[in-house]
Parts: sequence; C-alpha cells; structure tokens
Amino acid sequence: MSQTSSTEEKLDHLKHYFVDSDQQFEASKMGMWVFLVTEILFFGGLFVAYIVYRSWYPELYLLASEELDTFWGAVNTAVLIGSSLTVAMAIRSAQLNQIKGLIINLWITIGLACTFMVIKYFEYSEKFAKGILPGSAYSYDGVEHEKANIFFSIYYMMTGLHGIHVLIGIGLMIWLVFKAKKKVFHSGYYTPVEITGLYWHLVDVIWIFLFPLLYLID
Amino acid sequence: MSGHHISSAKFLWGVAIALFILTFITVAVTWIHIPSPWNVVVAIAIAVVKALIVSAFFMNLYWDSKFNVLLFVMSVAFFLLMIGITLLDTLYRTDPIPSF
Repeated sequence: MSQTSSTEEKLDHLKHYFVDSDQQFEASKMGMWVFLVTEILFFGGLFVAYIVYRSWYPELYLLASEELDTFWGAVNTAVLIGSSLTVAMAIRSAQLNQIKGLIINLWITIGLACTFMVIKYFEYSEKFAKGILPGSAYSYDGVEHEKANIFFSIYYMMTGLHGIHVLIGIGLMIWLVFKAKKKVFHSGYYTPVEITGLYWHLVDVIWIFLFPLLYLID
Repeated sequence: MSGHHISSAKFLWGVAIALFILTFITVAVTWIHIPSPWNVVVAIAIAVVKALIVSAFFMNLYWDSKFNVLLFVMSVAFFLLMIGITLLDTLYRTDPIPSF
C-alpha cells in the first residue's frame, strides 16, 4: 500500500526475497493468473469434446438436454454469481481492514457454494435413480438416441470437474476464515483472499458457459 | 503499482445485478425459439459478455497490470486454436463417425 499507516507497518508476511509488499502481492497474483491459464486449458479439453460430439450428433444434444432442469440450472447460476459478489465484497473488506466483514462475507460465500453443491446433489441423484449414469453404466431408455450416454458422459465430466473445483473452493475459504480469525490479514496483506477470489471467479466463469451449453439447448 | 484497486460496494452490486439480468435474458431468449444456428450464437454471445464482465470487474483485470490481461487473452487464444485445429480433423473425416 502506498499510504503507510501512522503506527508501525505490519510486515510479518513479507518474504526477504521481495523488495516490498507490493512486489510480493503482484508476483503472487501473476502466479495465480498463470495457474488460471492452465485451468482454462484444462476445462478447454472438455469443451472441445463437447463441441466435437455436438458437431457429430446435433440432434442428440437437443433430445438429451431435455432431461436437464433449466430452472435448477438457472438457480445455480444465480447462486454462483451471488457468491462471486460476496467474494468480491470479502476482498473489499480485507482491503479496508474490516476483518469482521471479511469473515462474514467468506461465510456467506461458503454457504452459497454449499447451496450450489446441494442442488447439484439433487440433480445428480434424480438422474442416477433413472439410470442416467456416465459411460457404460448408462441404462436409461427415455432418450431416443443410440448415443444418449455420450451426452451424459460429457455432462458428468464437465459438471463433475466443475463441482470438484467448487468443493476445493469451499475448503480454501474455510482455511481463509481460520486465517482471518487469527488476525493474519489486514489492508497491507490479504494476498490469499485476493488469489482465492480470482480462483472462485474463474469457477463462476466456467459455470457461466456450462449453463447455456448444457441446460439451454432446445 | 496497479494492484490495489478498491471497488465500492455499490459498484460490485451493480456488476452482480448486470450479471443477474444477463442470466435472465439468456434463459428468456430460449422461450422465443430463435432458429437453429442463431440460438447457439446468442447463448454464447451472452455468456462471453458475462465472462468479460466477471474478468474485468470482479477479477479486476480492468485495473490490473497488462501482463495479467495478456495471460488471460493468450489462454483464450490457445483454447480457440485447440477448438479450431481439432475441428479441422473431426469435421472433415471421410471415415464414418467412430463407434465411441
């Protein structure tokens, strides 16, 4: 931060190999962006699989996506956008030294992330009960297409990998809450909050694409 | 350094409301059944706008160092390259579609 506080500046977090706090913050953030690049390409492979199979079986996607409930997909989109907002608010609280606000916003975010996973759980279990399982375990005959299992394998891979990312995000934010309670973060050092926020927003961005591509085809 | 932009709470709420409205629009356009290639175009276009809003104003790329913007842009560019080169193969195969 440019404005040095009148009291002594807390520099416990500063590693000796950085010139100052700002350089350390910028380096961490750039490192996170490099990681996010690998994440985009990681999910990118699945999006390519989606596109290739959609170009081969356009009619399959139209039929099979009828099995997905647009309403709950839209609710989950709203839940994730709301959680992106609360994460941004958590970062703002940390920047303003409002540690209580930081913890509250993190808890709301964790709550919204859990809501997302609970809705996903009900969506999955409803499909499992019908025999809509990935790959060769598929045993549902409500979709009149011989390759119906392909759509749902892609669906489970994409939403499943995304769900794992949500779970990891929940874990990271619980860790942030513990750190915040130990008074680790202040306006001069909130790098883990900022970086987890970047990760969480990327998870939101990926869902922003998954929702229309999987649920909104008709 | 540019790394410490602090958005106002009002601004963050505005961004979220814009995203909620776009989510509603992307669902609402499916009710008016746009003919085939264009429904996908519209859905992707709205998703791209939403992704740009999130990356610019929630992930702070708008105020961030240009290098981080470059990283993000390059990842998207290489993703598009991956789609393009794969489709050059799969769209123009003379063999029938494989069994998998």
